[in-house]
Amino acid sequence: MRATTEPVAEPIDTQGSLSPRPWLVSLAAGERRLLGLATLSGLAAGTLTVVQMGLLAWLLAQLLVAERPPSDLWPAFIALVAVLPIRALAQWGQEVAGLEASLRIRRRARAALLDHLALLGPVRLASRHSASLANQLVEQVEALDGYFARFLPQLRLAVALPLVILAVVVWLDWLAALFLLLSAPLIPLFMALVGMGAERLNRDQFSAMARLSGHFIDRVRGITTLQLFGRARDATAEVHAAADDYRLLSMKTLRLAFLSSAVLEFFSSVAIAVVAIYVGFGLLGYITYGPSAELSLFSGLLVLLLAPEFFQPLRSLSQHYHDRAAALGAADGLVALLNEGRDSLHPEAIPPEPASDGEIVSLSGVTVEHLGRGQVLGPIDLEVIPGEMLVLTGPSGAGKSTLLQLLAGFIGPSSGQWRRSTQMRFAWMDQRPLLILGSLTENLRLADPEASEIRMRHALSRAGLDDVLSALPEGLETQLGERGLGLSAGQAQRLALARIFLSASPLVLLDEPTASLDEDSEAWIIRGLSELAEEGRTLVIATHHPALMAMADRRLELDEGGRLVAVTGESDRG
Amino acid sequence: MVESLRQATSGTTFAPWCRLLARRRRRLMAGMALMALTLVSAIGLLALSGWFITASGLTGLLLATGVAASLDVYVPGGGIRAFALTRTVSRYAERLYNHDTVLRLLADLRARLFGVLVELDERTLSRRRASDWLHRLTADIDSLDSLYLRLLAPPAVAALSILALGGFLAIWSPAAGMVVLLVLGTTWLWLTLGQALAGMAASRRQVTDLERMRSGLIEELQGLAELQAYGSLAEHRRRLDAVEACLQVDQRCLGRRVAFGNALVGVAVSLTLALVLWLAALAHQVENLSGPVMVMMSLAILAMNEALAGLPMAFTRLGATQAAAERLNGLEASRPVAATREESLPAGPLGVTLEDVTLHYPGNLEPVLEAVFVDIRPGERVAITGVSGAGKSSLGGLLAGRLPPTRGRIILGAVPLGWPVPGSLAERVGLLTQRVDLFDDSLAANLRLAAPDSPEPRLWQALAMVDLADWAEALPGELLTRVGEGGAQLSGGQARRLALARLWLRDPGLVILDEPFAGLDAETASRIAPRLDGWLAGRTVIYLVHQLGEAVDPPSIDRAMTLRAGRLCETARYLSV
Repeated sequence: MRATTEPVAEPIDTQGSLSPRPWLVSLAAGERRLLGLATLSGLAAGTLTVVQMGLLAWLLAQLLVAERPPSDLWPAFIALVAVLPIRALAQWGQEVAGLEASLRIRRRARAALLDHLALLGPVRLASRHSASLANQLVEQVEALDGYFARFLPQLRLAVALPLVILAVVVWLDWLAALFLLLSAPLIPLFMALVGMGAERLNRDQFSAMARLSGHFIDRVRGITTLQLFGRARDATAEVHAAADDYRLLSMKTLRLAFLSSAVLEFFSSVAIAVVAIYVGFGLLGYITYGPSAELSLFSGLLVLLLAPEFFQPLRSLSQHYHDRAAALGAADGLVALLNEGRDSLHPEAIPPEPASDGEIVSLSGVTVEHLGRGQVLGPIDLEVIPGEMLVLTGPSGAGKSTLLQLLAGFIGPSSGQWRRSTQMRFAWMDQRPLLILGSLTENLRLADPEASEIRMRHALSRAGLDDVLSALPEGLETQLGERGLGLSAGQAQRLALARIFLSASPLVLLDEPTASLDEDSEAWIIRGLSELAEEGRTLVIATHHPALMAMADRRLELDEGGRLVAVTGESDRG
Repeated sequence: MVESLRQATSGTTFAPWCRLLARRRRRLMAGMALMALTLVSAIGLLALSGWFITASGLTGLLLATGVAASLDVYVPGGGIRAFALTRTVSRYAERLYNHDTVLRLLADLRARLFGVLVELDERTLSRRRASDWLHRLTADIDSLDSLYLRLLAPPAVAALSILALGGFLAIWSPAAGMVVLLVLGTTWLWLTLGQALAGMAASRRQVTDLERMRSGLIEELQGLAELQAYGSLAEHRRRLDAVEACLQVDQRCLGRRVAFGNALVGVAVSLTLALVLWLAALAHQVENLSGPVMVMMSLAILAMNEALAGLPMAFTRLGATQAAAERLNGLEASRPVAATREESLPAGPLGVTLEDVTLHYPGNLEPVLEAVFVDIRPGERVAITGVSGAGKSSLGGLLAGRLPPTRGRIILGAVPLGWPVPGSLAERVGLLTQRVDLFDDSLAANLRLAAPDSPEPRLWQALAMVDLADWAEALPGELLTRVGEGGAQLSGGQARRLALARLWLRDPGLVILDEPFAGLDAETASRIAPRLDGWLAGRTVIYLVHQLGEAVDPPSIDRAMTLRAGRLCETARYLSV
């Protein structure tokens, strides 16, 4: 799995940028057989419909023209009924094969996207709304469904089936066939025109939907604040306005999307009417030219019965046309995500050179630039010495977090040189510890999937969570919520500390680990960090805390421009 | 599952939503009428064409044998053209009109539901998860859109057309009418109730599966740093894959059942056709039925495909709609009753009195606050210390009217606080929460949340108060710079200072600051403290801090108290620094 490789600011995209259509084509190519099966089944169902219509017309002609009694015709009635289950089976097969193809394609697409996001890393994703992203991965991938399950098989059927029917009609009456043929080529033309507009609008609609949901989760998360400022009513009005904008945008899309089906509807209705009147007049003998003299009730009825069937595949296609537009819109968003590479944050991030034995990370003359914010860090020379406790200080916004991210390999420098051991595991703790929706055990095993219960209990105890554990109704199996609801901030932070104890990571990177904590939690964190240092782990801590600063082997001070002001070394050791 | 179907059909689940729909009864009726018109035109077009062809064929045959016969070609010809035109026009109009109706309903529903959410109290709010809510508000409401457009109108129109067609055919052959009613009626029942039952379990699960996947993804994206650091990303991915596998099992099951329903429509319609044709042929044999009518009957039945086509898809997924409606019903039910009286809190600094206040969360063993008595004079500054979990934030929540006490009275400025709290409370009480909420919007918009009409200079003043003005000036977008999701583009300290600045824009009589300087370096904190002091003058202030005298203390504390295990004790001698 690519996703499991060490996160290093490595090149991500070597084959140039993707575009939506080829991406969809390549996804379809992966399920060529199932999609082919769907098409074949559809073709069989369509052909059986022609057979059914033929039987019906023949029966009617026999009953009315040859005036045969129905009892003579029972084999034909039986045949008419016998065709039904076979046709139903073929129709079912078309849907089920398309469904299976779509399920597989969606699974693959989602996996590829997740791999890519993992490679982008946490810092590049920090500027993205994670709910919007998650929504993209859920909704937009699901939006591919109709395209593969229904549209693609139907697209081929819309070409093949009318040809089959046309052949039958030509055999029956070439002039009627000509009517059908004349109206048919106009249809794709109109649909293409209409489809192009609908597609662009659909893209707009998707981004509107992503914005809408982003807007939403944001407002919902902040409901406390909205209530505190007495802004509930305004926020509600804002939500209504956002939803109404969405409606207006949707109506624009729909007006065009429905137009394509109306065009088809029009042609199919007109064609049926023209065929009916032509056949009727032909049968009455009003038409003296062409093949109409040879029209019989059988051929006339069959032409009429086949006229709607001639348009049916196209009508189904137009019903699925919005599936295509939806898929293209979704593909646009997803491909943009796939194309988002190393360049988004650091125009020229420099890949690390491998570190020599025993070396962890070393930076020389390194600077980091953020798009739109200019240089945020550096130039810095730094070598992290194994086993040391290194403290980063400086005013808030001085780039301490950026330096930690650089050490973690989440980002690369814009200039300078750096060496980093690629196979190294490290532990990471910031002010927003990850709590997954699951049991305490599952949360702890993020650090070590193999951890035994005894080790987990020991780790919790070292992080001062003994009391919490004993108070939990189901002990280690108690379920925790998102963002530490159910645990206080201090307890969540201590859980993150317990994870560090469990992991064997030699390097521990901590971003303000004691900020906003109660004294109890703070004391546990500080004690825990000193224990980690005693274990011989290398700690790099961004902090303002005097106790942590006092414990440090070395202290690195950054100023507001992210420049290194002072390094206080061994002598300061207290 | 049968039970939930029963509930759905008896209407208890959908009742509130149907009532909401009923408010737009006229629009809905007009939409249905358009739908019926489309269907009638489709049936009419095929049936009349069949009649016309057969009639002309038979007339033609008579003419050929030299019998004098005539056929009025103009009326049927005109009818055919008229049906062709109405079918097109009414279909386009129907779809557009109905979708507009549905989207109007959706916008109303969204706002209404958000209106419900913003009225929930802290306890109810904290029980729910943010991603869970997103789903409620978008997916649930979206799935309710199928209520009218897929679940009410089409089956109603289909049922009516089956009755009408049965009646129409019965004019010539009562037996044929009966066959239509029996076969198509039974099919209709299966396509609605039967399909709903068949898809109930899977479609109900689908909503939760999607929700689980969404929150798993949010987890993975927000916790990517830790997951990558520990190399546990693959493990987390396996969890996500398992959720996706569950989802796909259900999707497969639903898709197959829909396919079955669709295939059934074809079989049922064609079977009806064969039976009616047989009956009509027998009637024709005894000269009770003319040839053209026989053909017309057959073709009218063929057109019924269109009436039934949408039902399997809609009803197989009924469970999803129903589950959504249930969740929304539950949410509406948890809303507190509206305030009955509206008291206003006095201007100026507010005195605070707590009498025997106890707060006990349901499901917790111990109360968070127990028998708290306290008296704070107007304009006094009190620091309340305590370890995490001691109940400081809960106390803040109580005073800001975010939570009702389980027992006891809270008196603000001589007004006993009733629940739900009066609207003026938000004006008079300012609370800086421990977790800072910033919105994914510009700096200016985040500040103006506190005071919508603030002119720009005042915003700059607010930023200067917290020492952020220089920083903001250096930003390329200045006040229009966006702060990212939850303020992700800012450091923790910057976000906290921005929240302080936001509070500064208001004029509360009681200010509660939960850890005002957390995450700030000592230097910044001591620069901000005197300015904060100035603003706090003439207001009652409660600081909630874990410890005093450690880093930079909040300014001018008159009195300090400590919360220990839910009880408030006066700290013996506190010397203001």
